[in-house]
Amino acid sequence: MGKRVSAKKVPAALLLTVFLVATAAAFMALKVGADRIVRKKLPGSSIIYIPSGKFLKYATFGYRSLAADVIFLWAIQYYTTPTIDDRFDHLDHIFSIINELDPRYQDPYEVGALIAVQEAGDTRAAFAILDRGAANNPDQWVYPFNAGHVAMMTLKDFSLAEKYFEQCMKIPGAPEFVERLRANALFKKGDLETSWETWLDIYNRAADEEMKKIASNHLYNVKATIDAAALEDAAAKYRERFGHLPASLETLIRTGFLREVPKDLDGKDYVYDPVTGDVKTVVSPWRR
Amino acid sequence: MKIWAIAGITFKEAKRDRILYLLFFFAALGIVASRALAVLTVGDRVKIIKDVGLASISVFGVLMAILIGTGLVYKEIDKKTIFTLLAKPLHRAEFILGKFLGLVLTLFVMTLAMSLIFLAIVYAHTLKIEGVLLVAVGYIFLELVLITAVAVLFSSFSTPILSSLFALAFYLIGHLSWGLELIIKKMRPGAGKALVRALYTFLPDLENFNFKTEVVHGLPIPPGIYVSAFLYGVCYTAFILGLAVLVFRRRDFI
Repeated sequence: MGKRVSAKKVPAALLLTVFLVATAAAFMALKVGADRIVRKKLPGSSIIYIPSGKFLKYATFGYRSLAADVIFLWAIQYYTTPTIDDRFDHLDHIFSIINELDPRYQDPYEVGALIAVQEAGDTRAAFAILDRGAANNPDQWVYPFNAGHVAMMTLKDFSLAEKYFEQCMKIPGAPEFVERLRANALFKKGDLETSWETWLDIYNRAADEEMKKIASNHLYNVKATIDAAALEDAAAKYRERFGHLPASLETLIRTGFLREVPKDLDGKDYVYDPVTGDVKTVVSPWRR
Repeated sequence: MKIWAIAGITFKEAKRDRILYLLFFFAALGIVASRALAVLTVGDRVKIIKDVGLASISVFGVLMAILIGTGLVYKEIDKKTIFTLLAKPLHRAEFILGKFLGLVLTLFVMTLAMSLIFLAIVYAHTLKIEGVLLVAVGYIFLELVLITAVAVLFSSFSTPILSSLFALAFYLIGHLSWGLELIIKKMRPGAGKALVRALYTFLPDLENFNFKTEVVHGLPIPPGIYVSAFLYGVCYTAFILGLAVLVFRRRDFI
């Protein structure tokens, strides 16, 4: 009796196994087939429903920091997948979630801003991320410094760069070169007077000769720029009256356009080009 | 015939379960409350109603499948009614399939009821019956059928609490397995990549049944995916039921 039952069970078990193998093969083949069918997606549809971190942090049951880690890890994978064309559409939103969940987690601010500038070309998002980093971590000078760097090098907005460098300088621990970057930003934005005063201050406080030399070169450059602008302006006025540029800078004194011809910081004469009206220094400010 | 008799009894048993009505109440509440959520938005309110409504049907449907399905077989064993049943000329596979079909019938009725409330709410805003929403609901139901099979599988050898956790894990894996595809793209060719690919192909992909975004935004759905997703659901369900029968056949109740 027992033998008959087990004999009956064997083909049934065999059939069942064949059935399992067949169904598994079928659904795996269908899965491969379904993956080949391209489905339309909304731009950013894969992440558009992630709620704001403000709300999400209440749903993480005390695991806010872990949730921030997980989303950050996911974000790195997501933003390094070039096949997702619309991946940058909600960049600031995604990083704001991580920042809200763990405001003291430093990497996402820096990485997020880097992705925004280098990959997405979205400086607005970069500033938003770095501003959040600075607001959440007022003791960290790196965020206003990075923002100043982006404003100066990428956006070429020297006023904005100067503002960020000034903010950075006020944070204890900020490196001293930030002051020099600010002085340079002031120069580039055209505020030559403040730039001169700042470089002069740096020169007077310089602790070593190398620093003095750097400040001195910048002072030379600022003075040369101020003087050259004044001389070129006088030459332009001369041309307005006489219809041609003066033959030399001394002509400007004789005709009353200038009281005296200024000299550079080293006491040397500027080089004047009577054809173009341009005024230059004898040597480059950086090769004195 | 025996399968349908067990399915009928399971259906009767399930409809007496209070948890079913509790979940239905919350699902209905979710669908109706989508109107209140829509007020908070700026712009397209109907989109919010559709999103929340479809999500409610899906989430509460899955909870129904798991919470009722995981106790189906276990209860029979726990109350020893299984002895009465198996003493009759009834194959164990028929028992499993009957239980499964009974719960599928229950879920069908519940999904239908939730869909009617959902369509009524959408109708109140758009003044038209949007039949295309039923495509998403149909595939949600197909997903529920698969989850039911999983719940029955775990119920055949484990306690309801553990079975619920396993079934929930299956559901989560099913909706997150697409992440493996990203990993595969980043991996170097080799045994590791082949292993991950095999895992990716074998693990359930419940996103195949997710047409919510397309339906809500009116995006075109490739016709091939309908058939493919349907057959995928049927084959995966058959596989899980086959496993359940295999496990249940070897189960010793003494």
